[in-house]
Amino acid sequence: MSNSTTVSPDPAPVAGSGDRRSRMPSRTGRRRRAGRIGQVHPLVALLWLAPALALILGVVLYPAIKLFDASRGEYSITGLRKGDAGWDNYVKVLDHPDLGTVLRNTVVWVVAVVAITIVLSLALAQFLVKSFPGRRFVRWAVIIPWAASLVITSQLFVLLYDYNYGIINHVLLNLHIIGTPIDFLGDDSWTMFSMVVVGVFVSLPFTIFVFIAGLGAIPDDVMEAATVDGASPWQRYWNITLPLMRPALMIATVLNVIYVFNSFPIVYTLNDRNPGYLHDTTITFMYKLAFKSQEHDVGMSAAAGIFNVLLILVVVGIYLKIINWREETSR
Amino acid sequence: MRSTKQSVVVAGLAIAGLALGACGGGTGAGTAPGGTAGGTGEEAKTIKLVAAEYSKDHTKAFWDAFAKTYHEKTGYTLEVQVVSWDNIDQQSSTMIQNNQAPDILNLNAYASYAKDGLLYDSDAVLPAVVKDDILDTFVKYGTYQGKFYGFPDLSSARAFFYNKTLFQQAGIAAPPKTWTELEADAKKITALGGGKVGYALPLGPEEAQGEFSMWLFNNGGDWKTDGNWVINSDKNVATLGFLKKLADEKVTQNNPARTNRADAFDLFKSGTAGMVIGFSPLAADLDKDKKVDYAVAPFPSNDGTESKTFGVTDYLMAFKKPGNEKAVKAFYNLYYTPDQVNTFIKAEGFLPVTKSGVAYFSNEKALQVYLNTLPNAKLTPTDDPTWDKVKLAVQQNLGGAMNGSPKATLDGLQRTAESGG
Repeated sequence: MSNSTTVSPDPAPVAGSGDRRSRMPSRTGRRRRAGRIGQVHPLVALLWLAPALALILGVVLYPAIKLFDASRGEYSITGLRKGDAGWDNYVKVLDHPDLGTVLRNTVVWVVAVVAITIVLSLALAQFLVKSFPGRRFVRWAVIIPWAASLVITSQLFVLLYDYNYGIINHVLLNLHIIGTPIDFLGDDSWTMFSMVVVGVFVSLPFTIFVFIAGLGAIPDDVMEAATVDGASPWQRYWNITLPLMRPALMIATVLNVIYVFNSFPIVYTLNDRNPGYLHDTTITFMYKLAFKSQEHDVGMSAAAGIFNVLLILVVVGIYLKIINWREETSR
Repeated sequence: MRSTKQSVVVAGLAIAGLALGACGGGTGAGTAPGGTAGGTGEEAKTIKLVAAEYSKDHTKAFWDAFAKTYHEKTGYTLEVQVVSWDNIDQQSSTMIQNNQAPDILNLNAYASYAKDGLLYDSDAVLPAVVKDDILDTFVKYGTYQGKFYGFPDLSSARAFFYNKTLFQQAGIAAPPKTWTELEADAKKITALGGGKVGYALPLGPEEAQGEFSMWLFNNGGDWKTDGNWVINSDKNVATLGFLKKLADEKVTQNNPARTNRADAFDLFKSGTAGMVIGFSPLAADLDKDKKVDYAVAPFPSNDGTESKTFGVTDYLMAFKKPGNEKAVKAFYNLYYTPDQVNTFIKAEGFLPVTKSGVAYFSNEKALQVYLNTLPNAKLTPTDDPTWDKVKLAVQQNLGGAMNGSPKATLDGLQRTAESGG
């Protein structure tokens, strides 16, 4: 659980950094080069870096070491460390009968939420950069799901989805779209769908605002030139807007993948009535191993945590690789 | 050059500040357990209680007042941390992992802690008078390997709740005495239509073991007899089969396997469900809402023989830490005085754990149903550390029988229990 809080995206600096990087070098870089860039003593540089390094060591590295340490321990159900387990915990996680289900759920969950979010956000961002009366209010409204705590949002959806009193079933019944209520959270064929809807709902605001920033960075003259050359709106979008949006798309995708992968509250809250691991992702699987399941084993959970970190590193690595490769071949 | 010097100074200050901050954090975290534990032989003056939150309104208020009295009477200080039920497992596990166990922990299990050798038994910290006053049932289930570790803080007993209005509408004169009657009544109530639910059956992960205990005790079954696990006994398979039958006949709410106890209570509180297994806090809620005209009766047994009730108790266990024995003993001495323990139990709407408490509450009419059954209540095998894992396995797997085979489900649980969790 701890890593879900540390890696959750902090969009303000990220969204800004894209265009800062593109503009800054022209000004400050030139001044530096004119000044004395080589005169800073390495020790001084180290001193300046020290606070950041200390933070990284304390907030990232130390917990990571503790996690690894825990994953190699044998723990009693009470949390008492009884001795060293070697790699047993890792073997037990890999041998877990429900691991396949959990991995499949994780892939479905991450791919579905991120893909739907990106597509919807592209459309909505396009809409929100147009000026129309009340645009400011619409933009504010879009932020709200982001401002609300995830647990509260999830709990709210539990009420909306409820079989007996939920407003969604109420509306669908009254419109005669369905004859009997749908058990959105208890029926296995609906549960993942219901979770994905909430996942998209909470991921939209961040993504939309990244895309709004990305659209704002596209120079008008390029568009004008294309229009003069007779490009249709669709051609302009496909050949100019989308390629120029690549940095924004990349940031949004990578951060959303990490964020959605690590999303605990939605999967846990919407799923708390369901026994076993039928709809768990690797994150809630890790939590249940430690505190809810019959294993109730902190060591095994820590081993699952290590796998989680590796998994997300691999996914992000592959993604970045693909992006680089595309950039190189397109040149 | 001047600017370089300045940067060195600034950066140096920044590091110093950070280092100081880090030290502050370090020592702060370090002294907390050190201060409570003290060195060997040195007596602890401050002890820490981690208490479960039974209700937002009363739990913290009670323990704060208790800490004040405790300090006045004994001179020791009691630090109180109230934790919600959702989090307490996780918190206590983390505390023990980090070697920062509290002195006293309030939880719904104790045997695993006793097995790990973390706890004081009654000889060390419980005054003899207090031990004699605790109801024999609870002493029995609080005893692990011949020593009494699980000191009960309060108890509850389950009873059968029914909605009088719905019973009347369905033309049912009296609460059911047998399961056949219960099934017939559930059918009649469901037949009223409008989404009415005959019997609200929660087999979701929240407390499946509680619901199932009540049913299996009233079919002459048990989890464990004479030291052997009997989870997949014929009687228990028949019991789970009966629950599956109720679900298949659709006289329960939708999807019992995925319904938690709180949701079943909500159905009863809204007047949708005709019958449910409840306990005194549910009665308190119903009395507050005044929405449902209900009555409480003993839970019907399968064959109409005398009803058995399922009892639950939570524990206040004492962790072995150097020098804290006297302060901990003083804590129990004060907690079990009738003024304290009964005030707490009354405020939270639960049942007493002491003989003097039963006498104290005997004039409470609303509690009669439970009090009469309490001394003979059957508990889950909380005195076996294996149960702590079996309980979790039951919560995660029992519901599976609703879409599968009761026999296979219980066989699986039996295997889990026999392999020691």
